[in-house]
Amino acid sequence: MKINRGVIAVIAVLIILAPLGYSVLSAVVGPGGQQAEPFLEKPENASKCVRDTTYMRFHHMDYLRELRNDAVRRGIRGEVGLFSCRECHTSRERFCNQCHEAVNLNLNCFRCHYYP
Amino acid sequence: MSQSPREVNDRENVRDAMDRRDFLKTGGILSAGGACAYGLPLIGALASGAADKEERPGRRKWGMVIDLRKCRHDCTACVEACRQENNVAFFGDDDVENHERWDIHLIRKVTIRRKYPIESAEKSVPVLCNHCEDPPCALACPVAATYQREDGIVICDQHRCIGCRYCLIACPYNARYFYFKEDEDWPNQDRPRSSHGVTHSCTFCVHRLDRGGTPACVEKCQEIGAGALTVGDLNDPESEISKLIAENDVKAIREDLGTKPKVFYIGL
Amino acid sequence: METNFKTIEGKSPQYYMLAAVLALLILPGVYATWVMFQHGLYHSGMTNRIPWGLQIILAVFYIGASAGSLVISSLYGIFGKLEYKPFARIAVYLALWFLIAALLSILTDLGRLDNLKSSFSHFNFLSMLSINPFLYNMYILICIVYLWAMLKEKEKAVKVIALVAVIWAILVHSGTGAIFGFVPRELYQSALLPPSFISAALSSGTALMILVILLLFKLTKRPLDDELVVRLGRLLGIFVCIVVYFLFVENSYRVYLAESREAGLHFLSLSGESGVLFWGGLVLLGSIVPAVVLFHPRTGKSIPWIAFASVLVVFGVLCERYLIVIPGQTHPPDLFPGMEIVGSPLAEGVVHYTISLFEIFQAVSVAALVGFAFVVGLRVLKLAPTEARLHEQPTSA
Repeated sequence: MKINRGVIAVIAVLIILAPLGYSVLSAVVGPGGQQAEPFLEKPENASKCVRDTTYMRFHHMDYLRELRNDAVRRGIRGEVGLFSCRECHTSRERFCNQCHEAVNLNLNCFRCHYYP
Repeated sequence: MSQSPREVNDRENVRDAMDRRDFLKTGGILSAGGACAYGLPLIGALASGAADKEERPGRRKWGMVIDLRKCRHDCTACVEACRQENNVAFFGDDDVENHERWDIHLIRKVTIRRKYPIESAEKSVPVLCNHCEDPPCALACPVAATYQREDGIVICDQHRCIGCRYCLIACPYNARYFYFKEDEDWPNQDRPRSSHGVTHSCTFCVHRLDRGGTPACVEKCQEIGAGALTVGDLNDPESEISKLIAENDVKAIREDLGTKPKVFYIGL
Repeated sequence: METNFKTIEGKSPQYYMLAAVLALLILPGVYATWVMFQHGLYHSGMTNRIPWGLQIILAVFYIGASAGSLVISSLYGIFGKLEYKPFARIAVYLALWFLIAALLSILTDLGRLDNLKSSFSHFNFLSMLSINPFLYNMYILICIVYLWAMLKEKEKAVKVIALVAVIWAILVHSGTGAIFGFVPRELYQSALLPPSFISAALSSGTALMILVILLLFKLTKRPLDDELVVRLGRLLGIFVCIVVYFLFVENSYRVYLAESREAGLHFLSLSGESGVLFWGGLVLLGSIVPAVVLFHPRTGKSIPWIAFASVLVVFGVLCERYLIVIPGQTHPPDLFPGMEIVGSPLAEGVVHYTISLFEIFQAVSVAALVGFAFVVGLRVLKLAPTEARLHEQPTSA
């Protein structure tokens, strides 16, 4: 009985740790490991964003969500909206997706809102 | 000493009777308490909900007047304009067999004629979401995705919608639609194209109204020269729509339901 | 008289076969739900005019069956009738799983399941569809606590929890009735819908319990006193009569008032969609025939006849659920009273609902899940009694 339980315990631990092992291996050895740091394309026509970089880096999702709720639920549509970003950051592929695909954080906004 | 069966039975009966009385007492108290605990706040909420929708000075309240005398019989300009503006799903050309099941008609032209007592001439009536003051759809939505904005527009927030379709059931006008299937076309890329699984209904083109514009259907109707649709502020006595209502005999669809619809027809 | 509960052996090849078949039957529904989640609900038979289909019909049926099963367990739990104690645990276990099945049916029918988290953070507590899941979730908790109290043989706790459970079950199913009754559609709007739902719940729950008990005791070869089933059968007969009463009042009301007469007559007419199902399925096969069978002195005491009547009652209640959900949608709202609609891009008149293959997959899946859970539960938990006999009265002093 002791041997049986030990074997089961070892197998369980291996199963639990397998995903961790896989991600470590793929990060080091696989194509994900070779990927360079995300390259965010800087816009040509402007030098400053509507908010500073630190704020945007940490809070752009909250900012966009507030803009969304203000627009849809309260009817407050100001100068800045979802597509204001598009005026300077012309390509989602070369800007937003760079980080979002690297960390695998999927957005479903652009399933409906057009932003190539 | 063992007791006779009859005594045992009697005692059991007495015990049962006591249990029954206790049961009725506890049951009664629990039920009454539960009903109060749940029912009273509900009644309060419903009552206060009605009070919130009273007129507040300075608040806009959007409404629409449709002049059926000016609405042309075979014209579907408003329908096309709405479809173009809002990327409304229409499978008519792609899926002829099934398109009737899944097509969305935020605004539709319904041809009616009197049947009782005598058949009369046909009339073409644009039917759309009535943006009721007391919307049953907003009452029904479990996540408040469909709700009434402060400016009177009833809108479905598709970001929050879970696709339960209760608002379709609750709407007595058949004015709400569900995206059973996504449409591949995306004619207006400045506006979102709804994914499958959410509910859509006419929003009075709120994205235009909020910035001072006019809804697509109204604009198109003016463009072609008919001018049958008018959208305006019901709270402003000087607005065109208020004057139309004051001077004409207007009627809404099924006002007897108590939903207080805000789309009025002249000549219905 | 002590009732002993014992797990079933569960080692025979037939048992494993049954469990395996049930587990396999869960797969088609998973596939169907996955496809519809990815591509849209257009694979189902639902349309813009009929937004609620088979899944909602079955959800309502399961909630009713759950509430009904709980009432059977309350025969022991509240009323203290020891002869029904053997069935109490199975009844509560089934009540729990029927409600889980109902919730699953509803959840797999949502258009945007990935948005479900918004239902927890933004709650419109006035909506019947948010009041009800609150009731359902609490009901599941109460059932779990009830089952635990019974398994641990805590008699006093059982009495208290049984009372709470039954009251909550009545609230739950009245709430389900209110989802339909509190909506301004001609064939839905009715104050009678909540109590009518309770009556259908009692009859379907009792019928299902009779069938489950008969099957269980037959397959496990444990002794069962026929008289117990006969008594349950009589109870079922009374419940069926109450269902007929509610049907009669509802339909008379609709036909009597001028406002709803057209809709009411269309619902009852044999040439309409619902007429045949109503008169043939619900009234004749689902109510009159079982009531006659259950009250007749000869057939009312025969086990095969009672089983037959129970099957008919289940069929009848399924018809009733269909007749509650679908005609309210297929019958159009009267937008222009006195007028008729001669043209529209939307189907404005009476429409027809066809059940699609994917919906059948989902339905079979959920039923198989309940069956699988029941079969496994019998093996793992002490649910099934060793025997079910009538309480022996001492003969003489």
